[in-house]
Amino acid sequence: MNKVVVPIGPQHPLLKEPMSFLISLEGEQVVDSVLRLGYVHRGIEKLAQQRTYIQNVYLIERICGICSHIHTTTYCQAVETLLGLEVPKRGLYIRTLLCELERIHSHLLWLGVLSKNIGLDTIFMYAWRDREIVLNLMEEISGGRVSHAVNVIGGVRVDLDAMHIATLQNGLAELNDRVEELTRSIEHDRSFAARTRGIGKLTLEDVKRFCVVGPVARASGLNIDLRRDAPYGAYRDFEMEVPIMDQGDVWARSMVRMYETVQAIRLSRRIVEALPEGAVSVKAPRKVPQGEIVSRAEAPRGEVFYYVRSDGTQVPARLKVRTPTLTNLITLSKQLKDVQMADVSSVIAGVDLCIACADR
Amino acid sequence: MKTLMKLRSFFYLLPNIITNIFSKPRTMNYPTEPAAVSVNFRGSVRVHSSNCVGCSLCVRDCPAFALELEGETNGRFRLIHYRDRCTYCGQCELSCRYKALYLDHAYDEPSSDRRNFIIVLVDHMAED
Amino acid sequence: MNVLQAMFQIFIFPGFVFLFVSALFFHWLDRKLIARFQGRIGPPWYQPLADFLKLFAKEDVLPQGTNLLFASLLPLVSFASVLTASFYLPVAVLTAPSFQGDLIVVLFLLSMPSLLYFLAGWITGGVYSILGGIRSLLQYFSYEIPFLLAVSGTAIASGSWSLADIRAAQLSSGAYIIPQWFGFLLAVSGLIGKLKREPYDIPKAQSEMVAGPLTEFSGKKLGLWYLTNHLQTVVGLAFLVNVYFAGYWEMNTLGGFIICYLLLILLQCLLSAISAIYARLRIDQLISLNWRVLIPLTLLHNLFLLLK
Repeated sequence: MNKVVVPIGPQHPLLKEPMSFLISLEGEQVVDSVLRLGYVHRGIEKLAQQRTYIQNVYLIERICGICSHIHTTTYCQAVETLLGLEVPKRGLYIRTLLCELERIHSHLLWLGVLSKNIGLDTIFMYAWRDREIVLNLMEEISGGRVSHAVNVIGGVRVDLDAMHIATLQNGLAELNDRVEELTRSIEHDRSFAARTRGIGKLTLEDVKRFCVVGPVARASGLNIDLRRDAPYGAYRDFEMEVPIMDQGDVWARSMVRMYETVQAIRLSRRIVEALPEGAVSVKAPRKVPQGEIVSRAEAPRGEVFYYVRSDGTQVPARLKVRTPTLTNLITLSKQLKDVQMADVSSVIAGVDLCIACADR
Repeated sequence: MKTLMKLRSFFYLLPNIITNIFSKPRTMNYPTEPAAVSVNFRGSVRVHSSNCVGCSLCVRDCPAFALELEGETNGRFRLIHYRDRCTYCGQCELSCRYKALYLDHAYDEPSSDRRNFIIVLVDHMAED
Repeated sequence: MNVLQAMFQIFIFPGFVFLFVSALFFHWLDRKLIARFQGRIGPPWYQPLADFLKLFAKEDVLPQGTNLLFASLLPLVSFASVLTASFYLPVAVLTAPSFQGDLIVVLFLLSMPSLLYFLAGWITGGVYSILGGIRSLLQYFSYEIPFLLAVSGTAIASGSWSLADIRAAQLSSGAYIIPQWFGFLLAVSGLIGKLKREPYDIPKAQSEMVAGPLTEFSGKKLGLWYLTNHLQTVVGLAFLVNVYFAGYWEMNTLGGFIICYLLLILLQCLLSAISAIYARLRIDQLISLNWRVLIPLTLLHNLFLLLK
């Protein structure tokens, strides 16, 4: 049987962002795959060197639409440490609350995309219907569903009053029931398991060798989570439970993400209940003293890593962003070996790629 | 109980879909029904022109370079806002020290003419 | 019966216009039901008609080097074969011309669109079309056998291969749905494969093969392909109603017509529910499910019927 090259090209109904796979098939088996990136490269790191620190907050927010708040959190943390500022506790709590809400929204989005790719439209609709609750909560707090623009250097710029807290508590309680129902659906449904079990297996050695981060690593047994190991923001005051599984296939990653969502809802409720009084931000000077700093945070897809170097002016000298998708992409060539053509969609959706993050 | 769950796993979503048939749908019939907007919604950029002194802090801090200050500094200036470059982030509202600039809840209508997007917010050009 | 009456019956009712309206209505019902199952509002009643008119107004382009004669003939021939199959299936009005073996003729005519679907992918070329076409052929060899075997269970029970005799036997001995409910479920599974609905829609799986064999079609030809698919739903359901439920209605009466149509709507609801619950099966899972589980069960079922 001769080889056929199928382009899962830049535009394809399977992908949510443009990237190019050239998959060589023999019959129904995938023999080889070539990956090409760079279709969404916008030169964010170079643009950041031409804008002031305050303007960069909004530029960084637009690296990715799904994890925008985490990017600005990491950046603001880096600049605040260079300036020697201490963000008041209430500001830190609100920042962390939005981080957790964003984690919930990202995982529900991912569940919808995976279900659509394997053909279960119903779970896609249910997951995105429940995601609307989270988006409405985020809109109540910040004014925007996707681009929140809540972080400023020195804290946050919105405050929560009693009505917000009541809406949050009601919304999170409703969300809790629905997400638990979704988790049970995925865990028990046979057709979902038929399409996701045993596919795209990554062992613990593979994960360590490729330096994989995030839920993909946790589904193969690697016990890492930045919120517990190197806490930042308000995570210092809360204890985290990290779900770990060891099958390493797409089904294990689904379960890890759904358990993480349940954990995130629980953590958000605890943050709302324990919200301290006080200011939400401190005034930040415009000139940042000389120095360099590395800041890390746990995005929904893994560890995001920022390096900022400043030379004493209002414009950063160098900004480097390393997003988790960049490390997880490399495992695709291993996962796509000896897999059937129909499983390519499960594998690609199971890794949860955010190419806008990877291309910057 | 376990066997019931095992049996249900063959058609797990069936009770869910039957419940959904009898409950209200979660989508809305937009644009027949209007969409609700939150208190913090960042809409159109406006200015209380009596408070604006032309200090240009908003111009300096805009990440999209959407504001422009024309004219000299001694009381005669014009503040122009380019709506097609604006990202409605609200940094100008934060930077303004005189509480002149604010974002309200209006929705900026799209247009096919580029000139409709050049808005003069404050015009103190012809003053003395 | 004079020519005018015959023309009316062929073109208006229960012929072409009635089938066209029914096809659009059943397609709308399917989409509306699936939307309500998923918690959405769903399209308004004129949506399938609007889609059909829109497709007929669009430009018709095909890749360079395609055999234009065949590309135009294929949708017409598949549409014609489904309409001819409907000729032998009354919707409780008039008795259709019936002879021994017309059950097999109807089954053959209903399976023509699947073969022509593969050919459509083959002549337009392109990776997605050819791969989708090959998958549709693989699927064809899997679901047709349980469908044929399950339906021939009714032929065994009535003792003849003619649709009119099967109907008459059910009027006297009760509808076959009650003793042969298992065969009915197997026939429904075969029908889902024939219509390429979920969970058997791997040939036109949107997330892998863009649109399968029909990727390169557009305009009037695509409109005819979609209309054929919707019509095949109606005719397939009418076929199942005729061989399994015919004891509940009498021919040539208004009450019989209403009952028959309600049964069709009920079966469409069953099809929509099945599409909403299951994920898409991979092609090897589909083949293994059909050949390892469903075909032995059908054989056992028929053996049971023969021994009774």
